[in-house]
Amino acid sequence: MSFQITDACTGCGACMKICPTGAISGEKKKKHVIAEDLCIECGACGRICPKEAVLDQLGNRCTPVKRSQWKKPVLDLSRCCSCTICEDACPLGCIALCELGMCNKHRYPSLIKPELCIACGFCVTDCPQDALTMI
Amino acid sequence: MGKFSKPASSVKLDTDPYGYITKSKKIKKDPFRGIGRDTLISNLFKTSYSKWESNICKKNEQEAAMERGYMGRILMVDLTKGECIEEKIPDELYEYYLSGTGLAAKILYDRIPARADPLGPDNILGFVSGLLTGTGSMMTGRWMVVGKSPLTGTWGDANCGGSFSPAIKRCGYDGIFFHGISKKPVYLYVGNRTAELRDASLLWGKDAVETEEILIQQNDEHGKKPKIVCIGQSGEKISLISGISNDRGRMAARSGLGAVMGSKKLKAVVCAGNLRIGAADRDQVHHLSRKFNEFIMQPTPNISAKVLLWAGKILGMLPIAFAMDGSATRIIMRKWGTVGVNQMSVEMGDTPIKNWMGSPRDWGSKKSASVNPDHIVKREREKYHCYACPVGCGGICATTGKYKETHKPEYETCLALSGFCMNDDTESIYYLNEILNRAGMDTISAGATVAFAIECFERGVLTKDDTNGLELRWGNTEAIKDLLEKMIAREGIGDVLADGTKKAAEKIGKGSMEWAVHAGGQEPAMHDGRNDPGFALHYSVEPTPGRHTIGSFQYYELFQLWSKIPSLPRVKPISTKNSRYRVTDEQIIQAAALSRFINVVNGSGMCLMGVSMGISRIPVFEWLNAVTGWSKDPEEYMLIGERIQTIKQAFNIKHGIEPRDMKISDRALGLPKLQEGPNKGRSVDIDLFMSKYWDYFGWDPQTGKPTHETMNRLNLGA
Repeated sequence: MSFQITDACTGCGACMKICPTGAISGEKKKKHVIAEDLCIECGACGRICPKEAVLDQLGNRCTPVKRSQWKKPVLDLSRCCSCTICEDACPLGCIALCELGMCNKHRYPSLIKPELCIACGFCVTDCPQDALTMI
Repeated sequence: MGKFSKPASSVKLDTDPYGYITKSKKIKKDPFRGIGRDTLISNLFKTSYSKWESNICKKNEQEAAMERGYMGRILMVDLTKGECIEEKIPDELYEYYLSGTGLAAKILYDRIPARADPLGPDNILGFVSGLLTGTGSMMTGRWMVVGKSPLTGTWGDANCGGSFSPAIKRCGYDGIFFHGISKKPVYLYVGNRTAELRDASLLWGKDAVETEEILIQQNDEHGKKPKIVCIGQSGEKISLISGISNDRGRMAARSGLGAVMGSKKLKAVVCAGNLRIGAADRDQVHHLSRKFNEFIMQPTPNISAKVLLWAGKILGMLPIAFAMDGSATRIIMRKWGTVGVNQMSVEMGDTPIKNWMGSPRDWGSKKSASVNPDHIVKREREKYHCYACPVGCGGICATTGKYKETHKPEYETCLALSGFCMNDDTESIYYLNEILNRAGMDTISAGATVAFAIECFERGVLTKDDTNGLELRWGNTEAIKDLLEKMIAREGIGDVLADGTKKAAEKIGKGSMEWAVHAGGQEPAMHDGRNDPGFALHYSVEPTPGRHTIGSFQYYELFQLWSKIPSLPRVKPISTKNSRYRVTDEQIIQAAALSRFINVVNGSGMCLMGVSMGISRIPVFEWLNAVTGWSKDPEEYMLIGERIQTIKQAFNIKHGIEPRDMKISDRALGLPKLQEGPNKGRSVDIDLFMSKYWDYFGWDPQTGKPTHETMNRLNLGA
């Protein structure tokens, strides 16, 4: 079940702009729609919508959050195994393995594009090592 | 064609006057064409539902696909027409064949017409991801390329790490398949369930690294770096020993499938999707992954490569063999990568030397110091991890000269370009590794072909007039470098050799076929079947001949399949070496188990190095159940492996292959026997091995053809 847009939508286009998979379409000032097969349930549309017009996958109404208050992933290096899963999980390429280890030659992840992060938390949920947390 | 293979609906892309696709729209196709009666009835039932009900049905299908590790769809691209068709794959097909090479084997068996030209429009080239890829399971980031091999004429596949495997699934597909031939060079751009063929005329002629750099630059507009597979000049020039590259030169090198890509004028595939990959029980997957990672992350003992070198010397001299344990794989892979066994393998007789004629007496530890694992790791600037790998056996090495860095050469590359050609110049190995990766030429086949050419020259069959002035002597580094550059460019003698040893021997004649060591046309890897007859067997009997990544008796020891499948025989901790050469039922059971198991591994997208740590440590079957929500026991997965093995063999039979002809060349079987070294006096009775292996699978023991009973038993149809 994907996210859905209700009739409260005013067609401002904020959700369409932020959607990382291009799942949202619609004309300006008209109700937008989410393509089920492209929705990855990242929740960005729900957080950005000023009109509370987005329902999550369980049918709950999403409440908007100021973008500056969106959580960001923080890494615990002692748990990380450099497996690159977080880098691949990020739908916007915000994470990259670019930090060379202090006492080994393995590379570790870092949030290289914090301005693009949509707080989806996929890096956290996909990390098998629980090395990331959203703060 | 099977009842699962037709789409109920499809996505078709419009084409512009030049045949390049510019936009996509959904079209409805005749949903009943080519579909079996049962499916037809079920489709009639579905289409009679109201729009609301069909939407619910669609949602349920989507949810089911999202939660089982696979995406439930493939993309089929017709390069002749410039069309991209999306096809749904029913759940049953995954239960029968998993994903990866299993699913691909079913599709290619059904759809490539009998005896199709591997370089013609009817051949299908596929890029497939694994069932476990992207689900939180570890060491499951392998992508596979499949097609009818132009090198052997058989089922062809090649397997590679890197980062491309999850990228296929993140576009919404388990595989991307190509048929037809484009008029102009093109590349395929795939987004989230959209696809577009784009002009690649300006990329044609560029090497794999340059191509990747340009395509990343051109397609980086969405933030996330696209993942790319491409061919270099070797594939473009349809060299039959060319492969396909990703991540700046990591190669899916075997089976000559780079030539198929070149023949289709397909320069690259760019995957830029960012969809989610589901798992039925992600918590359980992560629980299993954490346990496995704990094992991997244990501190590595600080041992030097000298210890392994001496271990190899001792093992080579002893008349007994010790069963290998996977914990050693962890230490070697974590510390050195595959190069860790470079010198050890030479000394124990695992590495063929001097075109299968030599031994450590010819290329001893002083010469093999050129590929000393400690020296190679010192050159390593950083470790390289494939997707979902906690080990990081790869590396980026600094080099001198034209290129500043190269992927750390693998064991196969090191030995094919050094001991096999008697070359002890370290620097040349880095250089040759990089130029072959960039050109997209298989380092194993390239090294083997150079060694063959040197032997021809040394025996006077080739002269300086034939070699464009090259003094092709054993260990002549400069001549080896020049020859490989000529092979990449297909210039002069390079053109004769660019299709591998068998084709070269056919052109050269004068009895040179005796020195061209191959299995069905493919050069075997740097593992000697005279040392471990399991390699000789799998080189000869597999539907893809000449492959070292399927089985050997050493692999059986490392995989420890008996720990999860009690019906399989345990190995003794110590055995006599002589016992390995007797063809026993137990050995055949072991070999068949490996063939079946590797099909499960390749269907899952797992790394061979991962399973080499032992399946009591890497939970392959448990991950499969947690990801898919199935509750199959290991025997059921092994049955799937058997089905895949049989359909691949049936593929070969359909294409007119005589399995007995795939037998590895006599020299690699110990005919004549070596006069010195660890493999002195060893020979393998391969004909008996092959017959017994075929018989075990329910294939005809004389011809290797799967019987009707076997095909029916495995639900493959007769």
